[in-house]
Amino acid sequence: MVKYLAKRVANYCVMLFVAISLTYFLASAFMDPRSNYMTRNPRPPMASINRALDNANINDQTPILIRYWRWLTGIVTRWDWGKAPDQSSVSDAIVSRMGASLQLVTLATILSIVIGVSIGVYTAIRQYKWQDRVLNSIATFLYVIPAAVLAVGVVFFAIEINTVAGERLFFVTGLHAYQGDNFGEWFVDFLQHLILPTISMTLGGTVGYHLTQRTYLLDEMNADYVRTARAKGLTLNKAIRRHALRNSLIPTAQSVAFSIAGVFTGATITESVFAINGLGRYFVTTISQNDINGTVAIAAFSGVCTLVGALLADIFAAWLDPRIRLN
Amino acid sequence: MDGFRKTVDTNETVLKVRDLTVNFASEAGTVHAVRGINFDLKKGKILGIVGESGSGKSVTSMAIMGLLDKNAAVEGTIEFDGENLLEKSDAQMSKLRGKRIAMIFQDPLSALTPVYTIGDQIREALVTHNPDMTNEQVHKRSIELLEMVGIPNAEQRLQSFPHHFSGGMRQRVVIAMAIANDPDVIIADEPTTALDVTIQAQILDVLRKAQKETGAALIFITHDLGVVASIADDIIVMYAGRPVEQAHVDDIFYRPVMPYTMGLLGAVPRPDQAKSSRLVPIPGSPTNLVNLPKGCSFAERCPIATDICRETEPDLLDLAGRTDQRVACHRSDEIIAQNLTFREVYGVEESVPSIFEGIAREDRQMVLSAENITKTFTVNGGGFFRRNIGKVYAVNDVTIHIREGETIALVGESGSGKSTTLLQIMNLQAPETGKIELFGEDVAGKLSRKERQLLHEKVQYVFQDPMSSLDPRLPIYDILAEPLKVIGMNREQINKRIAELMELVGLKPDQVDRFPNQFSGGQRQRIAIARALAVNPRLILLDEPVSALDVSIQAGVLNLLEDLQNNLGVAYLFVAHNLSVVRHLASRVAVMYLGHIVESGEISEVFDNPMHPYTKALLSAVPVPDPQYERGRERIILDGDLPSPTEEIKGCAFVSRCPLYKQLSPEQQKKCETVRPVSEKRNTDHTVACHWATMA
Repeated sequence: MVKYLAKRVANYCVMLFVAISLTYFLASAFMDPRSNYMTRNPRPPMASINRALDNANINDQTPILIRYWRWLTGIVTRWDWGKAPDQSSVSDAIVSRMGASLQLVTLATILSIVIGVSIGVYTAIRQYKWQDRVLNSIATFLYVIPAAVLAVGVVFFAIEINTVAGERLFFVTGLHAYQGDNFGEWFVDFLQHLILPTISMTLGGTVGYHLTQRTYLLDEMNADYVRTARAKGLTLNKAIRRHALRNSLIPTAQSVAFSIAGVFTGATITESVFAINGLGRYFVTTISQNDINGTVAIAAFSGVCTLVGALLADIFAAWLDPRIRLN
Repeated sequence: MDGFRKTVDTNETVLKVRDLTVNFASEAGTVHAVRGINFDLKKGKILGIVGESGSGKSVTSMAIMGLLDKNAAVEGTIEFDGENLLEKSDAQMSKLRGKRIAMIFQDPLSALTPVYTIGDQIREALVTHNPDMTNEQVHKRSIELLEMVGIPNAEQRLQSFPHHFSGGMRQRVVIAMAIANDPDVIIADEPTTALDVTIQAQILDVLRKAQKETGAALIFITHDLGVVASIADDIIVMYAGRPVEQAHVDDIFYRPVMPYTMGLLGAVPRPDQAKSSRLVPIPGSPTNLVNLPKGCSFAERCPIATDICRETEPDLLDLAGRTDQRVACHRSDEIIAQNLTFREVYGVEESVPSIFEGIAREDRQMVLSAENITKTFTVNGGGFFRRNIGKVYAVNDVTIHIREGETIALVGESGSGKSTTLLQIMNLQAPETGKIELFGEDVAGKLSRKERQLLHEKVQYVFQDPMSSLDPRLPIYDILAEPLKVIGMNREQINKRIAELMELVGLKPDQVDRFPNQFSGGQRQRIAIARALAVNPRLILLDEPVSALDVSIQAGVLNLLEDLQNNLGVAYLFVAHNLSVVRHLASRVAVMYLGHIVESGEISEVFDNPMHPYTKALLSAVPVPDPQYERGRERIILDGDLPSPTEEIKGCAFVSRCPLYKQLSPEQQKKCETVRPVSEKRNTDHTVACHWATMA
């Protein structure tokens, strides 16, 4: 097991290195940070543009291999992921946004999984009964609403409540407003900020897990071994809980693990609506601002997340299914 | 749990089924799956329910278990222990299921939950009904059960997961769970259909033993008349949801009255007798259960149906002059009075003489000569590099010669390399070792594209499952036209050829615009055969061509294959696990075991005087549709399963299971273990690969 994991991690490191390097070359080829300066009015002098670009190690007049080498040594020796065209540090930007993303995404992800899987199981057992039909209709409805519309809807609804209550129960922007030292007040303030984005993200995530878990469980419920369990004298609910459920969780566990990367960088829309400075928005910003180093750093981060997810998915699957051996 | 053997009073009725009907709602309309079945199940007796797919036999068993889908409407009464099971709630039924009434299913590979150990699953069967059992008691009883169903090292095996077990072993576990609580009724739904014939014999033995030990009544559901002849006391024959004949096993087999029963019996070839006449197919295809005809549901396929048969449906009535035999047929009195048998009812056709009749085998042209061919698969390790860590010999040093107008059958258990051999020949590429020659032409030689295409034309393939081997989105015309276009026929020639082909395989030429799903399984297989014949091949490779078909349909396809060969002189190389079919169709046979041919020769020579211990065991395992023969028969039951092909075997591959080996002296055994036997001619047309074949 340990040997297997070590081998796997070593493999992943090689893969990551290749992937990140390729991203660096790609981004350097396509992005043109010089244009950020050239389009300024009045245009700064050429020498100062070059100096700024050199300082950030993104000058297209320097050979790409030299830039790559500098960038790489920076990371390996100082864990410095370079600078944006405006000379701000990429590492700092990511670290600060990572915190915001983590606060925003963790709760929503956990809730989505727990609620979604539970509803999926609940509806699968009651296939075609009214509970199933109602919940399925709601799920389908929510599924087709774009995330942005959903988020704005939640905001609208919260403002209504605020108005009715005559008090600011929910905050619709940012994650923190409280500046003092009292932890209790800080936490309440945090919750007041967090609840709306969490709701809008949870709604979207829940629907996905609900629909897939329902399908997985329905597949398993008709399996021969569930019929065997029934023939042994287990009631339908027991047979499903003991025999079908565990098997149906294997694909869900894997999809959860694989979704980790998307969860961090895919919250862009929610972040925009609620004005939260998270990784999703940062990712979009780096691309639009020709921030080569920022883009590559984000790509590296999602690469790590994906591979950690893949590893977790394997471990989960092996834990749930004895047919899979990790070696 | 004390005292396993019960005193069995065979007159006590444990289960009484009256007027059971089951209807399903479907998109096409109401499916009348079961339409009135009555029977009494006596303690300690085995009741066989026989029928083709869609006859309602499995639905009946699921109705007794109370495990039908929710959209099934069940009526009638099922009386067990003085209570009507149909009135019970699911919770009440759960208390009976597995304790008083147990069930064994068809496919052992999927019947066990993959994520729990065998021990856990047996424990569940015990603890569900006996919550007070201590862990120790459960453990002891589990071991006892596994030993009873013949699983060695029971104690360690409790820790194994289902995927560690072969199909036969898993079916033993399922049986162990079924008898765990000493039930009164055991229902076995096609329990051996998914298994190899040698394993089938083992499982039937275990079932008989389990039934005896528990004293339970057994309902044995099957489509295989051979299996039911060997095990059942009484038989119910079902057709289109109704029992059409019900009698003691001997009456069903020796004195059948209902034309459908006769047809079923006549449609099955015998493995123990040389082919004496053509098979008798039942015309038409099984009745549609949504739009049932007005009269007898069998009338449209029955050769002696009269007007009254098409008007009213006959009831299942006692037969005058027969004990306990009941038949649903308007013409039963005439059939008995005139002593009609299936020959008179169906009329036996003469087969067409072969165009090669009278020409000695040696004088016919060699179609295929495969000499010492080998096919290996490499086994890869895990990790990044997928290192090659071993070799599996799927086909090992196999030699086959086929001459014009003859049929060679490859037989053996699954995993013996039969299909791989076919594919290897179909490839038309140089084999890893040895040499394949078609019509005297070495396929490894340098051939031009055109020459290679010509060779391909001469060899065609028919697959096992006609459902999946025909493109469902192509009309029959296009399916048949495809190979003709490849050989460059023009439109007019294609039309003419397709009409010819349809006629040749017994289908109406005006049906060519239909899609495959508008045909029945048998008709689809005919289309597959027509496609293979389209380009006038000289050799057709048939991979289990009838095993997916119902018994009554199978006979028609076998007759068709026979006629085509006799008229066209095409040679067949065919793979089948059903030895009765092999005996009927083949002129020569090669028995394979773990990639080797262990015995080969002329069909009746090999079947009547088998010399290799494996062939003997294989033949003795085949059930024969003859209850008296079955009762007097001594079976050689092989131990265990086919060894893993990755195992490296130096000597004879069969050593681990050979009954003869056990009787040999240590020196003789040594030879078996270390020296691989080579094929030797033992008789004029009979080759055996065994060191001690003469002793057996």
